[in-house]
Amino acid sequence: MDLRPHYMEITPLMGELVWNEAPNDELLSWQIGYMDFLKKNWSEKIKEFRQGFTRISVVWKKELFQIEFKNSLSETQLKPLPLPEDVWEIPVCYHEEFAPDLILLAEQKKLTPSQFIELHSCVLYRIHFFGFLPGFFYLNGLPEILHTPRKSVPILSVPRGSVAIGGGQTGIYPGESPGGWHIIGRTPISLFDPVTDPPVWAQPGDRIKFRAIRLEEFKNWPDIKPISSRK
Amino acid sequence: MATARILQTGPGTSIQDLGRMVGSKYGIPTSGVMDPKSYHWVNHVLQNDPNDAVLEVSQPGLKIHFDAPTLLSLAGAKAKVMVNQREISNPSMIAIQPGDILEIGQIFIGRYVYLGIKSGFQTKITLGSRSYFSPVTGESMVKKHEDLPFQSLRSSSSSLSRSKPKWKTEWFEKQELEAYPGPDWNLLDRNTQFRITNGIFHLSKLSNRMGIQLEELIDNRLPELPTNPVFPGTVQLTPGGKLLILMRDAGVTGGYPRILQLDEDSISHLAQKNCGEPIRFRMKDF
Repeated sequence: MDLRPHYMEITPLMGELVWNEAPNDELLSWQIGYMDFLKKNWSEKIKEFRQGFTRISVVWKKELFQIEFKNSLSETQLKPLPLPEDVWEIPVCYHEEFAPDLILLAEQKKLTPSQFIELHSCVLYRIHFFGFLPGFFYLNGLPEILHTPRKSVPILSVPRGSVAIGGGQTGIYPGESPGGWHIIGRTPISLFDPVTDPPVWAQPGDRIKFRAIRLEEFKNWPDIKPISSRK
Repeated sequence: MATARILQTGPGTSIQDLGRMVGSKYGIPTSGVMDPKSYHWVNHVLQNDPNDAVLEVSQPGLKIHFDAPTLLSLAGAKAKVMVNQREISNPSMIAIQPGDILEIGQIFIGRYVYLGIKSGFQTKITLGSRSYFSPVTGESMVKKHEDLPFQSLRSSSSSLSRSKPKWKTEWFEKQELEAYPGPDWNLLDRNTQFRITNGIFHLSKLSNRMGIQLEELIDNRLPELPTNPVFPGTVQLTPGGKLLILMRDAGVTGGYPRILQLDEDSISHLAQKNCGEPIRFRMKDF
């Protein structure tokens, strides 16, 4: 499929590549292709670019550069890039000590807690980009039955490492934060370390697999980094 | 290295520079000064590098001790400034001697005071910036008894320029902010667009380095949108119908409709507004 985006100027120095498809793997591989192209061919003219599910926003160093880019885009021959093969296994303890919302959520969906956990941890999730908090990755792939509207009133403090569901998404809070997602577990691993380079271990396009662990395992978990394999 | 010791501070005082450009791909906000216009002015007066770190002060009650000669410059919000308990009428350039104590008292006009120092504060650089942001630097504010390193001058008085520049605040006292239509502006119906471009809005109490929420309610019938990039100055429409203007510590992506984008100077301008103050949006085209 040809998923070439169009370019929308927002301010004289800022604009975005626009796709109108729902987020999916193919769109992501086009986005990765365009980001690679921006890095290789335009990096000296770009202050910064940011990726979302259906946009790549660019901040230009000069107004002229944005015009130049916009005019050249239709002649640019670009291909999507293959997505990375890495799969990261993330241990999650779904014990009620760490999962204040799991039992209620399972009940609402007429599932037993173990069915709920099985559904959440059996699929492969795709990392699309990082946002919201340092080290927070946006994942695609939550089974539809687990989709749950966000809480109407966010809670003030979600503990670091909490695994949660909000709307059609699941994610991990890399640090303590206020949050409106339903908390269904916790991981002992670290998602963000500002003193390592890079400060995160995964990248957009990698996949995530959750693996249920017991409370004792959580308490004695040896590593702060997850294991990666290629599939 | 010489030391500036925080003897006393209200909440919300932090070290800031122009922020981090390298971290958005890991989800790290830009951070940096809320009002770059005032910040650039103090660094310019001190003949500093344009990215030198300053203290950003948002509450009265800062008291700071210097153990070596240096030059300071203050701009941003207009506040009562004292050195060794003597009030300084024009704090745009102050020569500091070892043992001097500077105090910032009541803030009269504006919200953020910028305290610049010759060659900038020399605190640790993390991911390309000295800006405090707790997930990255461990702290979001400076604390009582904290020591801030700086490079001392041999003598401060000889470095004083003869004519003192005067800092003016009129530019942030007007109501109008300039804005471009955001990526999702065209999803709004005509009435709502009219309301936003012609209404007067007031800053609510929900206001910090992450964002500033406005009081007035806007009818929001927009569908849920996929999460996409946001920037300082992006104006979002929340599900509750409030306008939320993202500021320097805001996350790099957001799921609410992005209906306006403030121009750079208007972000500085807005930063200097306090709770309850009125603003209007003037739409810009290009």
